[in-house]
Amino acid sequence: MRALCWHGEGDIRVDEVPAPEIANPHDAIVEITATAICGSDLHLYGGHVPSMREGDIVGHEPMGEVVAVGEDVETLEEGDRVVVPFTISCGSCWFCEQDMYSLCDNSNPNAELARKVMGQSPAGLFGYSHMLGGYAGAQAEYLRVPFADVGPITVDADLPDEQVLLLSDVFPTGYMAAENAEIDEDDTVAVWGCGPVGQFAIQSAWLFDAGRVIAIDRVPERLAMAREHGDAETIHFEEEDVYDRLMAMTGGRGPDRCIDAVGTEAHGTGLMGLTDKAKQQVNLEADRPHVLRQAIKCCRKGGTLSIPGVYVGHADNVPVGPLMNKALAVNTGQTHVQRYLDPLLEKIEDGEIDPSFVVTHREPLEKGPEMYETFRDKEDGCIKVVLDP
Amino acid sequence: MSGPISESTVDAGATPPAPTNRPAAPSGGERLVAADRQHVTNAEPQAPASGPSGRSLGRGGRLAATTAGGTLLVLGLRRRSLGGVTAAVAGGWLLYRGLVSSRADSDAEGTRPAGEADQADAAGRVETTRSVTVGAPPETVSERWRDPETMARLYGGLLEVSARSEDRWHWTASGPLGTSVSWDTRVVEDRPGERLRWESLGNAPVDSAGSVRFREAPAGRGTEVTFRFRFEPPGGAVGAAVTDRLGVVPESLAGVVLDRFKSLVETGEIPSLESNPSARGAGDAL
Repeated sequence: MRALCWHGEGDIRVDEVPAPEIANPHDAIVEITATAICGSDLHLYGGHVPSMREGDIVGHEPMGEVVAVGEDVETLEEGDRVVVPFTISCGSCWFCEQDMYSLCDNSNPNAELARKVMGQSPAGLFGYSHMLGGYAGAQAEYLRVPFADVGPITVDADLPDEQVLLLSDVFPTGYMAAENAEIDEDDTVAVWGCGPVGQFAIQSAWLFDAGRVIAIDRVPERLAMAREHGDAETIHFEEEDVYDRLMAMTGGRGPDRCIDAVGTEAHGTGLMGLTDKAKQQVNLEADRPHVLRQAIKCCRKGGTLSIPGVYVGHADNVPVGPLMNKALAVNTGQTHVQRYLDPLLEKIEDGEIDPSFVVTHREPLEKGPEMYETFRDKEDGCIKVVLDP
Repeated sequence: MSGPISESTVDAGATPPAPTNRPAAPSGGERLVAADRQHVTNAEPQAPASGPSGRSLGRGGRLAATTAGGTLLVLGLRRRSLGGVTAAVAGGWLLYRGLVSSRADSDAEGTRPAGEADQADAAGRVETTRSVTVGAPPETVSERWRDPETMARLYGGLLEVSARSEDRWHWTASGPLGTSVSWDTRVVEDRPGERLRWESLGNAPVDSAGSVRFREAPAGRGTEVTFRFRFEPPGGAVGAAVTDRLGVVPESLAGVVLDRFKSLVETGEIPSLESNPSARGAGDAL
């Protein structure tokens, strides 16, 4: 089959690879009909994620049709149209039973590797490094889905791909970001990053009764989308000082809740931003925590930081003193996608939200390498790319 | 090791002649691993830390460890074999040392991974202890451990284990180039739901012992399973070859075995990359 494979920094290729097979009794094979490129795929593309191997199939936002099921699969059958979460979760361990699916104890075959680095292993993910499972990714014609009774959600044929596809990651991720922000009625919520996760965090903040949402980015079309679709006020971080502007907007209190929807590849300004970039290039620092620093500084005392943006390693100069003295709460983690599938699908079915507004590009899989470049460089108004295998 | 070999066999296969001590490491990767072993040993809380190589790495060491770790990780992952996996794990550990040691300089305990009493010395002697919590009652968990089919799956790719009788197990460790060593163990303590302990027979070419303790976990979390495994390979070519194969970082063995056991009990399967596709072909390590 054809698949997008990682060959190193800035090098994604369309390769011919073996088709996946059922390996365990709870597996299913899904023929992919639509598969998106995630902002976090750009961290792979940029060579920032450890334990990638040349030739790994990437991608973790797929949907498609079930074409084979293992002997113990009970809820799916051939022909089902499913959206597949990026988190692989067994459904039986303590964490899954607590709805903390991205912390599943049993889905990472390379748990020992993750344990060496993190202390304990989180769940395995599709196409996101060997430390996080080593599973082949979903930017391919077919995908093997372990624990198929726990992840995939079946969707009606009358809902277009683009409306349901983003249940696989970015819509639940933005929603969990807002939930993690512990928003009280009429709170002011600041969202750093207006990519797809930021856009859904903005939408979701309103669902949690925020009083005001402020979005921060530097890409004009993303800021425009935050204003027009998200009803957010916006700050262009290269044109204005974010701290000064936020203080002016909130009477010096700072936003009650701050969401970092950027993560490891933040574009810092000034000397610290340059230093982060240099250190990351020579592997002295795995992450560029610019947004995290700024959010800690800006957040209202006793407020909450929610971090859906992906960090991969370690970061320097994170202001833990201010974090502690200002009594901030921090909530983070990979998304417990399975927890949100039913309620969010319901919102789509009811017409309460149509996630397809973020999709700007739909192209054949063959154009994948090109689309990675376009997405990375934020050219051509690119916010979300959907590929057709 | 004295006395006649009866139920155990040593098969030197096509091993080329080798000195009686461990041969010089054939590659940079393995030399690094030997150094890593030393780190693991030195990092034991009871062992005195000496100089910069003891508990933390200096900046140069950190960079070297990070780079070497990343390389080894990738090399290890590139090989679809046990050696590959263990090299990858070693790489991960070095990477971890490189990434974390700066933060952990003042916290030697913090540099230790999940292992509880892991060590592997230069002679290839392995002693490893790990714990995991399994979501089922001690009696169920202990019975499952005793199942011969379970045993074979837990050690798959690491060691071959089969039951000669209920209390006697036959083990084989294979090295490269067709070398292998086999030995038998017998159960010396068996308290279902509490503890199981086994030792190699007196005449076995490998001195090996293991135990599993089952203890009810708090708050209805199931059973805390603690697995200890000791392995002292024979001297000479076979022993060296087998230890090379058994574990570039053999102290990970208990961790891998327990992960598999937990998954098997909780989900009925062991997560697998056996046929995982990539541009490299089908199948990734273990």
